[in-house]
Amino acid sequence: MNVNPFILEVIKDSLLSIGEEMFIALEKTSMSPMFYEALDYACGLTDHRGNLVSQGNGVTSFIGMLSPMVKTIIAKFNNGKDLSEGDIIIINDPYQGGGSHLSDVGFVMPIFYKGELIAFSTNKGHWTEVGGMDPGSFTNNSTEIYQEGLQFPGVKVFEQGRVNQGIIEIIKSNVRLPDQSLGDMWAQVAALRTGEKRIQEVCDRYGVDKVKLSIEKLLKQGEEYAKNALKKLPKGTFYASDFIEGESFSKEKYPIQVKVTITEEKFICDFRGSHPQVKLPINCSYYGLMASVRVMFLAIIQPIKEINEGVFSLLEILVDKGSIVSATRPAPVSMNFEARLGGADLIWKALAKEIPHQLPAGHLLSVSSVLISGPLEESETDFLLVEPSVGGWGAGMNFDGQNGQFCMGDGETYNIPIEIAESRYGVLVDEYSLIEGSGGIGKYRGGLGVKRVYRALTDNQRLSIRFGRHQTKPWGVNGGQEGQNSNVIIKRRNGITEPGSGIINNIDFHKGDKVILMTPGGGGNGNPNERSKEAIESDLKNGYITSQQAQMMYSNQ
Amino acid sequence: MRVATDIGGTFTDLVYLNDKGEIFVDKDHTTPGNFEEGIINVMNKSRINFSGIENFIHGSTIVINTLTEKKGDKVGLITTKGTRDVLEIARGNRPDLYNFNYKKPQPFVERYLRKEVTERLNYKGEVITPLVLEEVTDIVQSFINNEVKAIAITFLHSYINPIHEKLVTKYIREKYPDILVIASHEISNEWREYERTNTTVLSSYVQPTVSNYIKKLEKKLLENNVYSNKYIMQSNGGMADFQEAKNNPIQLVESGPVAGVFGAQVLGNLIGESNIIAFDVGGTTAKCSLIHNGEVKITTDYFIERDEKNAGYPIKAPVVDIVEIGNGGGSIAWIDEVGALQVGPESAGSYPGPVAYGLGGQKVTTTDAHLVTGRLSAKNFEYQVNIQEINKILKRDISEKFNVSNVDAALGIIQIANSNMLNALRLISVRKGHDPSDFSLIAYGGGGAMHAAYLGRELNVKKTIIPNSSAVFSAWGMLQSDLRTDSIQTYVVQLSSLNREVLNEKWNELIAVNSQKLLKQGVPLEKISFTKYLDMRYVGQEHTVKILVPEELIFDAQNLKLRELFHELHEKTYQFKLEDSDIEIVSLHLVSIGEVDKITLKELDHQPLNPSALIEKRKVYFDDDGWIQTPIYNRDLLVREQVVLGPAIVEEKQTSTLIYPKQKVTVDNYGNLIIEEVVV
Repeated sequence: MNVNPFILEVIKDSLLSIGEEMFIALEKTSMSPMFYEALDYACGLTDHRGNLVSQGNGVTSFIGMLSPMVKTIIAKFNNGKDLSEGDIIIINDPYQGGGSHLSDVGFVMPIFYKGELIAFSTNKGHWTEVGGMDPGSFTNNSTEIYQEGLQFPGVKVFEQGRVNQGIIEIIKSNVRLPDQSLGDMWAQVAALRTGEKRIQEVCDRYGVDKVKLSIEKLLKQGEEYAKNALKKLPKGTFYASDFIEGESFSKEKYPIQVKVTITEEKFICDFRGSHPQVKLPINCSYYGLMASVRVMFLAIIQPIKEINEGVFSLLEILVDKGSIVSATRPAPVSMNFEARLGGADLIWKALAKEIPHQLPAGHLLSVSSVLISGPLEESETDFLLVEPSVGGWGAGMNFDGQNGQFCMGDGETYNIPIEIAESRYGVLVDEYSLIEGSGGIGKYRGGLGVKRVYRALTDNQRLSIRFGRHQTKPWGVNGGQEGQNSNVIIKRRNGITEPGSGIINNIDFHKGDKVILMTPGGGGNGNPNERSKEAIESDLKNGYITSQQAQMMYSNQ
Repeated sequence: MRVATDIGGTFTDLVYLNDKGEIFVDKDHTTPGNFEEGIINVMNKSRINFSGIENFIHGSTIVINTLTEKKGDKVGLITTKGTRDVLEIARGNRPDLYNFNYKKPQPFVERYLRKEVTERLNYKGEVITPLVLEEVTDIVQSFINNEVKAIAITFLHSYINPIHEKLVTKYIREKYPDILVIASHEISNEWREYERTNTTVLSSYVQPTVSNYIKKLEKKLLENNVYSNKYIMQSNGGMADFQEAKNNPIQLVESGPVAGVFGAQVLGNLIGESNIIAFDVGGTTAKCSLIHNGEVKITTDYFIERDEKNAGYPIKAPVVDIVEIGNGGGSIAWIDEVGALQVGPESAGSYPGPVAYGLGGQKVTTTDAHLVTGRLSAKNFEYQVNIQEINKILKRDISEKFNVSNVDAALGIIQIANSNMLNALRLISVRKGHDPSDFSLIAYGGGGAMHAAYLGRELNVKKTIIPNSSAVFSAWGMLQSDLRTDSIQTYVVQLSSLNREVLNEKWNELIAVNSQKLLKQGVPLEKISFTKYLDMRYVGQEHTVKILVPEELIFDAQNLKLRELFHELHEKTYQFKLEDSDIEIVSLHLVSIGEVDKITLKELDHQPLNPSALIEKRKVYFDDDGWIQTPIYNRDLLVREQVVLGPAIVEEKQTSTLIYPKQKVTVDNYGNLIIEEVVV
């Protein structure tokens, strides 16, 4: 077919804007703060084989989870032959398809045009509740996945447009906040249908053949981009190792390692030799790892405008079966971001010195999740606060690290304003501030970690926290120092202070008790002795560094 | 006589309406540093009788320029204990998801000038820690020592109870009358402390500059015997007098651009169109906004310096909801890293400008593409157009890369630009649940008329309108505006527990404050009117839907009518409703209008057709039909009710209107061009 190349571009633009439109529609209609403040979800379109064509994304981690999910569904339903118009499939199985943990619930909808399967509309979002042993389904001490919540293995929740009431009832009776979870589901379904409608409109306008051609072209362009980007990278083999942190008090640490091989044709990440899966919810499945390796790959080949399956065609990931970064059933994965981000951070660490213009020093690394639940003041209902936390990012080759940002696995994620937190949850925020001196010093200083202090306003609340980097510290680069590690301190109302740690498993939190949450500071970049006098003075004036840190840098100058 | 002046980067525009309803337009050079000179110059040039001016209306980019050029004054910030870093932590988001070198916006107040005071309210507005006013003395003294020129104050939960903010503000104003002070409750009463703090800080940052600017302008006008009412356009599409503008300068942040949208609303009223898509194409950007049932949408979700890669700075001031994209007449065509043709957002600007200007521009722009396709002619330019040069660069940069002819490449550029514009127009219409066939497209600005007919057809709008004097339409809009205030008050309550008396009390408080504001600006009581809106949502949702509260709305026991209105609008906007969920009010939005006397526009006289309206015929390249010999008309010589069939081009001094085959254009009673599809 001889087609005007610019028309294909115009169609491509339409396809790209569909991903964004679905994303905005979901944000505006969702019922839970994880969707609208954390934007912890992603929407996408794939071709009829499940290759990602366009996406709208709030957190980085989901980018790699959409297409494996669709491909799993295609395979499961007889190579797509058992799918009909109006079907919608629900899936959250971490070990197959796009699995992170059960809380991230995915939907897949086949799109037909005049009877022909031409594409899929899909999304995945973090539900505040999917049942399981702990409120919020954020489980810090599960030993197998069966404790972590309701599992959807990829079943039709809509068949030819008709809802399967049975599944709805199962959800209703298995989750703690059915209104919120089902509200999110309706929003996700609405977004899928928007995608379907828009694709069909584009086919009406330009003809289905041109739309298919445009999709082919888009994927091809993605591959070309990645090939060109690879050319610019240093070739060779690069190594890094680190730890995934276990329990705070036992000081357990599980070693992980990577060998990154960059050739003219491939970008290979070999995680073989990492620790076997553990009976703590910090494992991630192969699909979880793949998602965050894809994020890292995108950061390395920045700037990229259009992300689709073609971009990832040169990426290869090698793992042992059943390792902490490639766990298999029934390993628990509720806090899977620990292994998932830990794996990606290894690649970052291995390459930071090689491509300093792309990658700064190490950052807070962890989602730093906080979960508080319990009764509200003057109300019958319970509240559930689930939030990620901001911390310090590493310094770059010519700039100081950023203060108080979410980790690499998050992205267009928003903290919960104090005024909203206090209106909705039974807590008071006594402090939200930068931690002086927490950034690693260097020619360029690491960004500061952040302190947030919650005070309980009612009795019988429960508290669960998982902050990474409580035993290890964000790494510096080129002689820059490490950032400060994270710490969580409980101050009881009777004056007793409980020893600091990074992980808290579902403990009591009563009226007047305080929890002091401190996230890590970022690593420094370059020799601290080379920091300019003006920069040190400005840091001192603004209280970004301590006087001891200033003296250390001055005395060597 | 009503006079409007709009200061742009290069020119200061003047539009005025004499007492007979006749409109006059003029322009002169902008005089940076002393903008008031340029205003007087253009007024002198047009020979206006200064003492005959009744209303002087001014549009200015002073606020946005001061902010983006970072030329404001040193600000000190006072916050609740424990929260001085809220301004710096901001929201922690990273819109440029995969860029690990991302840099968040730098706060407008450095950390050492952010001070904390002991005080605390809870979310209900109750004082749980009393204010320690004595702490303020040391803070202000340290600000003075550090040459702070303006102080911003934001305390937690002040949107519900401003008591502590008021006490501190009063204290400083009395004790240090030379320092400008703004407290958050004076400009925003919505929750979210970062957004409110930033809005307050930015207001303080621009306040000294704006005060000076207005003082100088006022003095200059008085020296020239202009004793009229003097107003400034605000971002909400209404005016404020000079004093009100000095008190609340952040309201001027989008002073200029919103006037065009407001103009579209007024024009719609005049010609009986209540559903309008307003579309403005300038040199660098295209802006669009939707008017539904005659209502311009006002929002406080406004940011500066925000784009897909940058978080930007939130400003919780009421601003006309405008979507802006980087596509205008000067937008540059380029090939991206994967070999796809792109247009914009980079613009050739006014210097060197498009290749067509012959000022050394070496990059093909949308304007150049219009020339190559015959849509513009060399005669339309004040410059010596070198078409060979355009063809040479087009061939080198675009055509050869795609192996197509120059004219196909030029058409490709126009198609990509149209596609970008179309996506923006769809974003505000179809994607918000509106059917474009219920709407009319009003296109203005220098480039609007060139793209409008195509966009109108693709969107399937009822008709496309190119207003009279479309190139200075924003200033035209100012001539038609009234005084306006928008008050938004966060008040979270579920409908099931709504107490109507409390709600009425809240409305009455807002009405009292805003009546006072308008009375102070000289509006008689009988000219003041109010419109009430409620921002509502399902319990548990975050984003709200704005409901116009009909005056006749009866608050029955279950608020059934209100529920029904909400369900309906929610379904329209988001394709679903949840009839079992409870609904909550999040905020009250009161619009107060102080009506100003206006002059009625004059209709055109009936005249016989003028054959010399047809200037020439020339070859124009169209999307589906290729080259067509196309008649070109002079807009000034077309007469009332004249109909021209497409393909055609109607030329005027600053713009040209392209009409496609199977379209027709009609001149209406006021000289507007109405483009419609010809139904066979």
